[in-house]
Amino acid sequence: MSRELTYAQAIREAIALAMERDERVFLFGEDVGIYGGAFGVTDGLLDRFGPERVRDTPISEAVLAGVATGAAMTGMRPILEIQFMDFITLSMEQLVLQAAKLRFMLGGKVNIPFVLRTPAGAGTGAAAQHSESLENWFVHVPGIKVVMPSTPADAKGLLLGAIEDPNPVIFVEHKLLYRTKGPVPEGYTPIPLSQTEVKREGGDLTVVATSLMVARALEAAETLAQEGIQLEVVDPRTLKPLDEQPIIDSVKKTGRVLIVHEACKTGGYGGELAAIIAGSEAFDYLDAPIRRLAGLDMPVPYNRELERRMVPQVEDIVDAARKLVREGI
Amino acid sequence: MATPVIMPKFGMAQEEGTVIRWLKQEGDRVEKGDVLLEVMTDKVDMEVEAQASGILQGIRVGPGETVPVTTVLAYILEPGEALPQDAAPTQAESQAEPQAAAATEATEVSAVKASPVARRMAAEQGIDLARLTGSGPGGRVTKEDVLAAVQAAQASPPPGRVRATPAARRLAREAGISLDGIPGSGPRGRIQAADVERRLAAQVPAPAPAQEPVPGPVGATTALPDQAAPLTGMRRTIARRLTQSWQTIPHVTFTASVDMRQAEALRQRLAPDVEAAGGRFTPTVLLALAVARLLPRHPRLNAWLQPQGDELLLTQHSRVNLGVAVALDEGLIVPVIHGAEELGLAALARRIGDLSQRARSGDLQPQEVMDGTFTISNLGMFPVDHFTALINPPQVAILAVGRAQMQPVWDGEGFQPAPVLRLTLSADHRAVDGAVAAAFLADLKAALEDPARLLL
Repeated sequence: MSRELTYAQAIREAIALAMERDERVFLFGEDVGIYGGAFGVTDGLLDRFGPERVRDTPISEAVLAGVATGAAMTGMRPILEIQFMDFITLSMEQLVLQAAKLRFMLGGKVNIPFVLRTPAGAGTGAAAQHSESLENWFVHVPGIKVVMPSTPADAKGLLLGAIEDPNPVIFVEHKLLYRTKGPVPEGYTPIPLSQTEVKREGGDLTVVATSLMVARALEAAETLAQEGIQLEVVDPRTLKPLDEQPIIDSVKKTGRVLIVHEACKTGGYGGELAAIIAGSEAFDYLDAPIRRLAGLDMPVPYNRELERRMVPQVEDIVDAARKLVREGI
Repeated sequence: MATPVIMPKFGMAQEEGTVIRWLKQEGDRVEKGDVLLEVMTDKVDMEVEAQASGILQGIRVGPGETVPVTTVLAYILEPGEALPQDAAPTQAESQAEPQAAAATEATEVSAVKASPVARRMAAEQGIDLARLTGSGPGGRVTKEDVLAAVQAAQASPPPGRVRATPAARRLAREAGISLDGIPGSGPRGRIQAADVERRLAAQVPAPAPAQEPVPGPVGATTALPDQAAPLTGMRRTIARRLTQSWQTIPHVTFTASVDMRQAEALRQRLAPDVEAAGGRFTPTVLLALAVARLLPRHPRLNAWLQPQGDELLLTQHSRVNLGVAVALDEGLIVPVIHGAEELGLAALARRIGDLSQRARSGDLQPQEVMDGTFTISNLGMFPVDHFTALINPPQVAILAVGRAQMQPVWDGEGFQPAPVLRLTLSADHRAVDGAVAAAFLADLKAALEDPARLLL
């Protein structure tokens, strides 16, 4: 059975289910308790599970990441919320030098099973220090998994999958998705990490998109379908470790690929995807250059119109896809 | 204008060639079509002909030297003309006087009249000013002239640098054809997969229809374990073409049996001579020779039938462009012997041998599989007694050749053992009636049973 939930409700349901099921699971972070989270995601969880398992913390991201790492090493299953992905910058030492490496350096004697949830993305007028999309920083670090759900159902299932996973997982939510609705299965329904999903089938062009861009690509697909252009929208869901084969298969089918993400283009995940595709058996099926559509290489502007222009919109995807299919450029 | 003599590219895979010897020397007067030199590739020795008439000058690659294809080997100059600027001869010091004189004149050529901006742009773009015709005052080369040259250079990439997508390259590779000469519909003339498919659709012939798989016994309803896979590349093109042929052409077939005793004796007698001339006298060559000689007398069979609007246009060809089907692992390709009616036996044997070999190695040029007017498909090397081939549109007929079987043949007094071949002609009944087909088969049978008739 499934019913309609928002992305935020789906995440909350996943946290509650995990906490009910496993007493090692606890939630902590800035304003996650009394205030219910900066975006209301954890609303009601303090009343339900009490202050021992739902903890408000000081503003100290470096310490929070260290607590998550230490608690996980000693057998707990922490869920840490970093209020804005921008402030993950303060946690980098603990995440990159400690959490990502300790299992390796201790010869496999410890696991670090924590989930760091954090909202990313522009579109809320929150300016350059509250709008970053930094997922690819972590894609680059061996020992950390990176998950980016694009729908309420994926948010719930993948969060449960991330909590079950024995590794540190950066779980990147999108601010503009929190209020989007979609069918979500009831009950404890984890989705294993590293399973790429084809969100819409089509024969003319593969669009590989992440997070909010999946929704925009699906909207673009509707528009282009009326012109007779059929997009296949593929969502990696877990950026690392990536399930490559469905992407390669899709490109072999369509011969063309457009990669769309919100993070800045240079050094972004799209470059990695493009290299994987070009180096795969799909190479011999490419009938056009691999194209990327991504955030402009600039800080996110405060001005709402500039902010809009900085991030790929539905019409940008429509234009780029149409050009690739019709003109091959 | 100076015409460069370049190291030619004979095959798709060829990257370099070696000069064996020069047949014309520095300063010789040459006519267009004269053989200038012999070169060797990893596959074959070839002659290089003059592309223009004039004086051979500036030989810069000597015997035994190996250079990349398209490398300039020398120039053919008009009387009084100087070597182009970039023709600094590598062997200048060791060469005789004409070479030295040419080098001296070359410095004068650098005094081409050109505007400063044109000179700078030409230098940046690697354009030889001496090759441009100036449109400015007094023949001065202008910026516009250089820009036009740059655009022309971009529009026609140098040989070996075909712009094509990976998908297009894969399709061409699978089909065993070259990308050269395929018009590209992509940006800046890039060849797309669809362009290759169009080319393949225009040339792939119709072999005999494959047998339908035999259905399993009734009641065997368990699911089979094998995966279905879509047809790709050459196979897909063949499928489309065969369907078109089968569905649109009303095929009518005619079979004749031919006593091959004399033809076979002739073939064996002349085989050493043909081999000495560089060819192999196979049964296919004999059949091709007979068909090529006879078709001009049967123009209704050497024809194209093409729809145009509501009309059907019939073209009866005076030349015989004879297609000979070659089986490949991935399908079938039909190289075409253009003007086959004019070729002698040895030339025809060489041509068929060369085309078949290059068909198998994937080195056919696109024009070598185009514009066929009649097709022969020979399965005589297999235990196939006779078969019916599908017509390769827009052609109107195809000849299917089975194997020669030893049979008793009545010679008026008794039965004699003879190899008997069965020929099956498929014709487009819209263009060809039974009497026309029968007359051709009768002529062909008579010619094969008494090959001296081919001299008629």
